[in-house]
Amino acid sequence: MIPTLPDETGTGADVAPVPAVELRGITKNFGAVTACDRVDLRLHRGRIHGILGENGAGKSTLMKILIGLVLPDDGTIHIDGELRHINDPITAAKLGVGMVHQHFSLVDALTVWENVALGDVGQLDHGAVRERIGEIGEHFGLVIDPEARVGELTAGLRQRVEIIKCLRRDPSIVIFDEPTSVLTPEESSQLFASLRDVVAVEDRAVVLVSHKLDEVLSATDEITIMRQGSVVDFRPTAEADAPTLAHSMVGRDVALRSERAAFGMIVEDQDGSAPAPAPIERAASPTLRIRNASASGSGGARLLDGLSLDVCPGEIVGLAGVEGNGQRVLGDLLSSLVQLSAGEVEVAGRVIATQRPGAMARAGIGVIPEDRHDSGVVLDMSVAENLVLVDPKGVARRGVIDSARLDALACDLIEQFDIQCEGPDAPLWSLSGGNQQRVVLARELWRHPKVLVAAQPTRGLDVGAIEYMTERLRAAAADDVAVLLISSELEEIMDLADRIAVIYRGRIVGEMTRAEADLHKISLLMGGAAA
Amino acid sequence: MKARLVELSTLYFLSVMVALVLSAILVEATGGDWWPVVDALLEGSFFGAGRWGQTLGAAAPMLLVALGTIISGRAGLVNIGQEGQLLIGVAFAVYFGFRIGGPGPINVVVLLIFGAIGGAVWAGVAGVLRFRRGVPEVLSTLLLVTVATQVVAYGLKNQWLLLAPEANRGNRNQVSEQLATDNRLPRLHIFGNEIPLGVFIAVGAAVLLGFALSRTIWGFRLRMLGRNPRAAQRAGVSQSGFGLGAMLLSGAFAGLAGAVMLAGGGFQFGNYRLVPGFSASIGWTGLLVALVAREKPAAAIVVALIFGGLRTGSGFVSSTGVEARITDVIQGLLVLALLVPPAVMFVRDRRRARAATMART
Repeated sequence: MIPTLPDETGTGADVAPVPAVELRGITKNFGAVTACDRVDLRLHRGRIHGILGENGAGKSTLMKILIGLVLPDDGTIHIDGELRHINDPITAAKLGVGMVHQHFSLVDALTVWENVALGDVGQLDHGAVRERIGEIGEHFGLVIDPEARVGELTAGLRQRVEIIKCLRRDPSIVIFDEPTSVLTPEESSQLFASLRDVVAVEDRAVVLVSHKLDEVLSATDEITIMRQGSVVDFRPTAEADAPTLAHSMVGRDVALRSERAAFGMIVEDQDGSAPAPAPIERAASPTLRIRNASASGSGGARLLDGLSLDVCPGEIVGLAGVEGNGQRVLGDLLSSLVQLSAGEVEVAGRVIATQRPGAMARAGIGVIPEDRHDSGVVLDMSVAENLVLVDPKGVARRGVIDSARLDALACDLIEQFDIQCEGPDAPLWSLSGGNQQRVVLARELWRHPKVLVAAQPTRGLDVGAIEYMTERLRAAAADDVAVLLISSELEEIMDLADRIAVIYRGRIVGEMTRAEADLHKISLLMGGAAA
Repeated sequence: MKARLVELSTLYFLSVMVALVLSAILVEATGGDWWPVVDALLEGSFFGAGRWGQTLGAAAPMLLVALGTIISGRAGLVNIGQEGQLLIGVAFAVYFGFRIGGPGPINVVVLLIFGAIGGAVWAGVAGVLRFRRGVPEVLSTLLLVTVATQVVAYGLKNQWLLLAPEANRGNRNQVSEQLATDNRLPRLHIFGNEIPLGVFIAVGAAVLLGFALSRTIWGFRLRMLGRNPRAAQRAGVSQSGFGLGAMLLSGAFAGLAGAVMLAGGGFQFGNYRLVPGFSASIGWTGLLVALVAREKPAAAIVVALIFGGLRTGSGFVSSTGVEARITDVIQGLLVLALLVPPAVMFVRDRRRARAATMART
């Protein structure tokens, strides 16, 4: 399936006769799984090429192959028409391929210029590095203070440092991997503006890897869509629209609100077909009440700074915010993993001791943690054991676990939550990420929690799994569970939450009902503007 | 699952063969003959008259030490100071055993209990340091071995501690009193072998521990703590409480092993007296047993038997004219051979799992 080139491009730049990069028949298998299956891709100078696909579609693997982090099993890479073997990132860099990674690789304790110079060999030339940062900043509108300490920068500025790090080597082919996941909407549009400059000014080829339809539609010139390791569609952006793209991505029509939210489409209710959730009557007393919570990290950094938040039974409260503003600490607090220096946590009117092992879980707080491998599951234990991690007493008699009862319970939950696994005794690590997440969900819901905390619950899941998760969260709220949804995906919050709170630097800086919610206002709050 | 088992046994077979061939080359190279050495090893450990009993007697304390190591290992703690915990256990048993007295059989129980307490105390020092002050237990347990050796040596020089009254020293100057005949663990006489009762204590403990680890809530929580302390903390398993408990129990097993060596006679452990060098490296060997058995109590029984056999057999090897220390080298090679297959399987499993997750991201 060799994509046909468009005759004209949105930029009006000359069509280069030879593509900057041409991938032919790239195939990569991991064990039995095919991550890339005979993928062909052409990147041209002067264009922004969007690569769109669900999680697991093979986009990241393909890009890792292009920058030499992963070696392909088959296929060839041609750069400017010449066959090249990219065996490691250094070769890639020499050939002018650079990548801005999804996760930052910066050293917090160092300054901006030090981070930029990181990896250089020989004597550091402070002046030259600073000068170059200044040049790049002016050139692309990425102004930054080279002497600022990276740890004190916002996520948007940190990403700017990453981009400068990449551009400093003057790459002619630049890959951006999911660049907006840590940015506020404002910062995202700024980023795309400078992206346009990068392309236009110096005739570079830019790749934007994303799973968000809206941003690919607005920022690219042409779009390649991947599904299950293969390229399923290629078209100029001018000829693309959201429903067709969504269809290609998933392989079927996408109709549900939650599905659309999963593609980064803000669900507005102008057509009236899907009315906003009716404002629920607030119960007299919130199930979960966090008052003035403050906590400090080991270095004395303020992680939570007087955070107050209520969640009522039957209500979904969405906690919006740019990642790294205390969401993880809040999740840990409600998992008995963090000690408060001030303030308290109440569940159903009772104050719960913080950091006492198991106290939060016993009080009825179920948690789907942001990183399930951190505190959500034990990878080396079986599926059945992971399902009773919190409360093994339910299947035990006098301290001895009744394996028949454990198996029965596990089989029941495996069926009820449709967990794909070899059986209750399969080790948890043998399950896919989505199914591990279902194990966590099953365990937390099975115990009929009073409060359910879902931190980035759909991260890394494909559309079907996202839909399932969203439905479960809605069902939990309908069962009078107080649901706290912590998410950095604004779309998800707008789709699910009855009430929205915005977190910034460890405190709640604004709260509103879904009906009052206004994207512009939320994104200003996320960026730290006073309410 | 079945294919896995075949694969694992093939790996074991191959690596043991490699170790044996290397050992043979080594023996030949140092001027010995390979077959007489093998012959002496087997004769000394299993086939010679009464050697079974000796081998079992040596294996029993190794197994007890290994069980303790398994407990701490399951909780994610690296206790490598069994040698010291064992010594302090014996010291406690001697000190309190001779002072409390009482009718024979009861005093045997008292000895064993104080042995366990002594081991627990010594491991507890490392445990408290670990959970109150964050001192890595790998370091503290190891260093405490040296301290324990010195403490016991000091005790053996002072009559108010461990040293026997002058009349009972029997021409030696650092020796505790000998246990009275009725203060010793009885032995069973089977087919011309004397089997110390400690063997049954150790095997019983292994069976019990195997059950407790796999079937009880205690074992479940212990494993949870070892594999993911943060998930355990959320689920209500206190790291300091449970971890400290595991450490104490681990030391108690080492101390118990020491008391069994003292009261059971078994192999040649100081002839019912505490003497310098009493521990005979049983603490270290027990640690190896746990390592080779990969923290499985049932496997530890078998491995302890093999190591016990090596220990008793090596005494016979010197009669062939080969340097007795060669058997230490052979033992080392065998340990490596037994450790390689599980390591290979582990690395391969992990690589597969990682490939599978990588493909999904």
